[in-house]
Amino acid sequence: MSDLIEQLMVNPLAAVALTLAAYFTGDRLFRALRAPAWCPPLLVAALLLATALWLLGIDYADYRAGAGWMTLLLGPATVALGLPLYQQMGKIRELWRPLLLCLPIAATMAALYAVGIAWVMGAPAEILASLAPKSVTAPIAIGITERLGGSVALLMGGLLVTGVAAIGCVSLVARWLGIQDERLLGLALGINGHALGTVRAFEISPTAGAFSSLGMSLTGILTALLLPLAWRLPGLVG
Amino acid sequence: MTTLRGFLWLIGFLLAGEALVLLTGLPVSAGVIGMLLLTAWLALHGGGFDDIAAAARPLIAALALLIMPGVVGIFFILDELAGQLTAILVALLLGTLLSVFTTLWLMRRLVADATTDSREAPHE
Repeated sequence: MSDLIEQLMVNPLAAVALTLAAYFTGDRLFRALRAPAWCPPLLVAALLLATALWLLGIDYADYRAGAGWMTLLLGPATVALGLPLYQQMGKIRELWRPLLLCLPIAATMAALYAVGIAWVMGAPAEILASLAPKSVTAPIAIGITERLGGSVALLMGGLLVTGVAAIGCVSLVARWLGIQDERLLGLALGINGHALGTVRAFEISPTAGAFSSLGMSLTGILTALLLPLAWRLPGLVG
Repeated sequence: MTTLRGFLWLIGFLLAGEALVLLTGLPVSAGVIGMLLLTAWLALHGGGFDDIAAAARPLIAALALLIMPGVVGIFFILDELAGQLTAILVALLLGTLLSVFTTLWLMRRLVADATTDSREAPHE
């Protein structure tokens, strides 16, 4: 049995089939259980997939190699976000001044809060470097963490937790502050919750999705440019 | 066929982004540069993006699916993090709550200022 599985996993399509199956099962489970909005279907699907890999005795590295072409599509999918961004340009232009002021501050604080808290709690430099780009979309964040000397696996975990937390926090804080403006919700989701937040924003509305894409991309760019510089400041780490 | 033609456009912008990253050494991913290039290109040309839309919509809809392989990795490194797990989780959860609050609070203030500037509508 385990031989057969090992041989099947040589074909990348096996990893793709597993991912798709987990995705659709997760989605169905999510609907059946009427899961709350803070719990994205992705979390259910990822848990299912991890369980399946563990039960079948498939090495994560093998799975990941096979699922590589799905990750490859992440590139064109990121480019595709330029379309909603263009279609909502009018709405974005209306808000250019608040955006210009808010984005650099929000993107900086997204990194600073987490690093500050982890530093106070005594986490070593490697972990700080893995957590710093936690609000940045995966392809950029991986580059940043490598530059700072952190662990990519921990970063990916941090991205998952941050994405889920951002979705929950946005609906919580928005209710608390009485904010219903889709543009603001989308922006907060994109700045703090990267691709996961953007997926959620598109569920709210296309406008929220476009603002989320904007928040996500500008946070990514700003963090990628500023974080490696900030890291060199003396006294920040050790 | 329109979908495939659109897909070629998307890959074209991605590769253009890649070339820019390689040439300039920008620490930003090719995808994000490609996205900005696509936005700029659409803004310059106005309409006529049916091909691109046909490819872009299903890809955006599948975004959650595409990041799954990376996300699953976390369940396989939990052991290594045992001693630091509390610090990591507190930093991520509390940090995210604080930064979401900062973003929303700041944006609400700034947007409210902008609207009261242009037309003196009473706010709240």
